[in-house]
Amino acid sequence: MISIRDLRCGLLDIRSLDIGPGITSIIGPNGSGKTTLLRLLAGITLPESGEILVDDRPPREVETGWVNEFPDRNILFDTVSDEVASPLRFRRIPCSETSRRVTSHLEFMRLVHLSTRPIRDLSGGEKILVALAAATIHRPSLLVLDECDSHLDEIRAQETDRLLSGTGARYIIRCTQQMESAAHGDHLIYLEQGRVIHAGSPQDVFRSLAVTAFYPLAWRCGV
Amino acid sequence: MRIVLDDVCIAREDWNLSAGGIFTEGTHLISGDIGSGKTTLALLLAGLLQPSSGTVEREKIADRMISFQFPEYHVTGSTLREECASWGIDPAATLKGVNLTGKEDLSPLRLSRGELKRLHLACVLAKHYDLLILDEPFSSLDCREKDRICNELSCRTRGITIIFTHEQMQFPRVDFIWEITGGSLRCRGRLPDALPTWEHAPGVVKKLIRRGKIPANLTQKDLMEAACRT
Repeated sequence: MISIRDLRCGLLDIRSLDIGPGITSIIGPNGSGKTTLLRLLAGITLPESGEILVDDRPPREVETGWVNEFPDRNILFDTVSDEVASPLRFRRIPCSETSRRVTSHLEFMRLVHLSTRPIRDLSGGEKILVALAAATIHRPSLLVLDECDSHLDEIRAQETDRLLSGTGARYIIRCTQQMESAAHGDHLIYLEQGRVIHAGSPQDVFRSLAVTAFYPLAWRCGV
Repeated sequence: MRIVLDDVCIAREDWNLSAGGIFTEGTHLISGDIGSGKTTLALLLAGLLQPSSGTVEREKIADRMISFQFPEYHVTGSTLREECASWGIDPAATLKGVNLTGKEDLSPLRLSRGELKRLHLACVLAKHYDLLILDEPFSSLDCREKDRICNELSCRTRGITIIFTHEQMQFPRVDFIWEITGGSLRCRGRLPDALPTWEHAPGVVKKLIRRGKIPANLTQKDLMEAACRT
């Protein structure tokens, strides 16, 4: 369980929130604190006050994969294979094992066709897919994704959801502006002005948002 | 006013895109898979990229604007105030319009991506351009902002608007559907006739069509009207 207690950081003000294992989507207006919450969960930012525990450990002690909402800010190296290998190299994994795992992981993520491509030549969506591969190759228990799906087409986003579920991450927490995608997760959190307004199953949260623009169009259309 | 693509080809080492067709006045929606060449085509239409072969003619287009997929590529001001001023528009009114009043002295790069996109689109849409090319204008925007931008784009009655997008839920009123498939740009035609042959149609649209409910257009109102049709 991820537990958040008396958390304050900038605009964010969360008294108590528990997040169970599985896929959790965070939605809300621009500037509501979604990225701040994700950065705190990933251990990139420390709270001004309060506490976050991931299975009783602070985020910085948890194996975490992170993908930034700005695709270019994820990238450190020139080629796709070097970028995907980097988390293993930083952990001093032997070269032969790194090479084997990169090959296998690119196949798993269906990115073999990009392996030798310079990253500067990739499209925005392709950069995000590479960042996702790099974030998952070391099998993190916590995967934190900041609006990755805004760069993906519908079919690739659905396929990526399926692949990420197979990475073994106990917690996948992502913010999204695609409500149909949020409807398919295990848990849903709606933030507004730094506060959790609704949290629960997608059905319960969206029921509370039925008269807002956040309600999934497919549900509204009954399809 | 129109853009004519005559037997255009853009070729790289192991990738190429061919495109032909005429973009007339109105709103054109272009979809395609990741890496299919949407951004490349946007650059070509904007005149920022030359084709490997073929020609691009822009007829009676006095001014043009391209909005890149990544709003951070457009930033030149070190504060929001400077950024607005660099577009020749009033910072106070612009920032008020996108709910960023009070952040005038903040660096644009300190905004959330959604806020930056909101600011950038306000700067782009503050003036009229004969040719307006928008590469993924809805990415990172929340549902309310998408709705607002869609309404604003639907009100553009003059000029050529070309929108490249993966968006699945919120669209402005669109006149023509195009898509990139198999390395070629294909025009599916005018709405609503184009919808049944649109391979990249959003799931909701495909489901409505399967039920024999073809929406008149792609706005949420059109989709809801089709869904409620008996």
